[in-house]
Amino acid sequence: MEASITLKKVGKLVRDKTILASLTFGIERGSLVAIIGDNEAGKSMLLKVISGVEYQEYGQVFINGLNAQKRRLEVMSSIGFVPHEIDLDPWLTVEQNIQFMGLLYGVETETMNTRMVQLARELHIIPFLKSMVSDISPGIIKKAMVIRSLIHDPNILIMDDPTAFMDAESYRHTWDLLLRLRGDKTILYVSQSLQEVEEAHDRILVLEDGRITLDGSLDKLLGSTFEYHQFQIEFEELTKDLYKQLSNLPKVKNVSRIGNSIHFYGKERNVFFDVLNAATSAIMKDISVKKLGLQDLMDAKYAKDGIH
Amino acid sequence: MIKALLLRRYWLLKHRFISTISFIILFPIIFHFSITKVMENILPVSSINVAYEIWVFPAIIFFIASSSTFAIIYRDFFDLRIHKISFLPITLAPFSKTHLIIGFIITSIIESFMYVIIAMIILSILIVEPLSWKIFLITPIFTFIYTFLLANIIVTFSIISERIFTFLSVSIFLFFFIVFGNGFIISFDLFPQKIGLILSYNPLSITLSELRNILFFNIINWELISIPIFVSLFWTWLNGTLLKRKLKQ
Repeated sequence: MEASITLKKVGKLVRDKTILASLTFGIERGSLVAIIGDNEAGKSMLLKVISGVEYQEYGQVFINGLNAQKRRLEVMSSIGFVPHEIDLDPWLTVEQNIQFMGLLYGVETETMNTRMVQLARELHIIPFLKSMVSDISPGIIKKAMVIRSLIHDPNILIMDDPTAFMDAESYRHTWDLLLRLRGDKTILYVSQSLQEVEEAHDRILVLEDGRITLDGSLDKLLGSTFEYHQFQIEFEELTKDLYKQLSNLPKVKNVSRIGNSIHFYGKERNVFFDVLNAATSAIMKDISVKKLGLQDLMDAKYAKDGIH
Repeated sequence: MIKALLLRRYWLLKHRFISTISFIILFPIIFHFSITKVMENILPVSSINVAYEIWVFPAIIFFIASSSTFAIIYRDFFDLRIHKISFLPITLAPFSKTHLIIGFIITSIIESFMYVIIAMIILSILIVEPLSWKIFLITPIFTFIYTFLLANIIVTFSIISERIFTFLSVSIFLFFFIVFGNGFIISFDLFPQKIGLILSYNPLSITLSELRNILFFNIINWELISIPIFVSLFWTWLNGTLLKRKLKQ
């Protein structure tokens, strides 16, 4: 498939500190890509560099095959950007903020108004269009910012925490819209909510200290850890001998104890039955099994060390 | 782009119509009574034998233009920029930075021009001496040239300042320089000779002195008139480059 966004050895420095370190990757047209990572990992800066808010010190960014720095004026029309911070003009109405941006991008008034109303209807903010931005809640403003970024019908949408400040209903409306646009537009977004990323992505980029440490779908990212399950058994009394006996069972990984509970990982559920068989003499109070997810992956221990 | 920027200014004006219209009406009245009427008691007739209130009229118009230009540029290039509101999305629009600067400056000139027309009407009522048609015709043209230059100066300060304290300090200095260092309310004849000569060659004062030359002596010096125009054009390009570097875009 054709690449919509291509980065070649992109590096970004802020006061001599490396924020992005020689990033090289491409994003396919029409895909939905999520970027996750710790604070200060460089996620927002990566979005800023791709969207043209700030240029990189090294390397090149290509948007639809065009060098973003050399052919900025052509490139900018195809990008819609939603920053993390609320940045609508507080002394204008929501409608005026959106229309201003539409006019700036040369969108015809009729097309612009039709598009604005349609998107506002999808995001359920029609009643707020005539409200002053200073008078409405941040969640509604964030939805207005999404509409503003789409008003010139860009084919690439770049969003820094698109559902920040939103309640559950607004979150759902926003993602209904974004998932409808998926395929037609390339969507690249940063989110702090791993649940959000798990639910909406074609591909996940994990950024750490300005470098991409993991890249792929959730299934691929979980890769070696995907088949692992986390088990927990609470005994009435977990003796040292029993703990030692269970720890030494084959295929039981990363064993730990908290009080009378034993925690361990295993690739197959059979491991769990082996443990249960070995512990039949002891009285069990509670048992639980959990499949590993993105949260576990992001947990430093597993992200860096894996399960041994 | 100009249409978008103008429409935005219109919307902003509409949302605070009462306060804006109050200032538009009050400014010329305040300037007339605090400058013209006071200075008239000291200098009833200017050094070129023209009634002081007529001689100072173009300067009062320039003050009105300065005030409105300052307010408009301050909001867009300093206040919104440092508070990261609205300004960044504008810079992402498909226009060069110089193009953007030109857009903002033209918008501020057009808005200032509107205030200037209202001020001229109010002042013509307040001034006792009759004003010739020439004043009404030529003053707005020179106000355009003056505002073009001043807007560029304010844009530069707005872009390079990051703190309100710095911006206000520079603005206060600029205000005093405009009032006292440009021959606006006191003729350069009353300055020490060398200082008066140096100050008379700054592009801001050239605009006013050439306007007065046309109004009161019928002398047109195209070479001198072109100086502030060319300085402004160069400055606009410079501001475009400065903004590009500042935003790292």
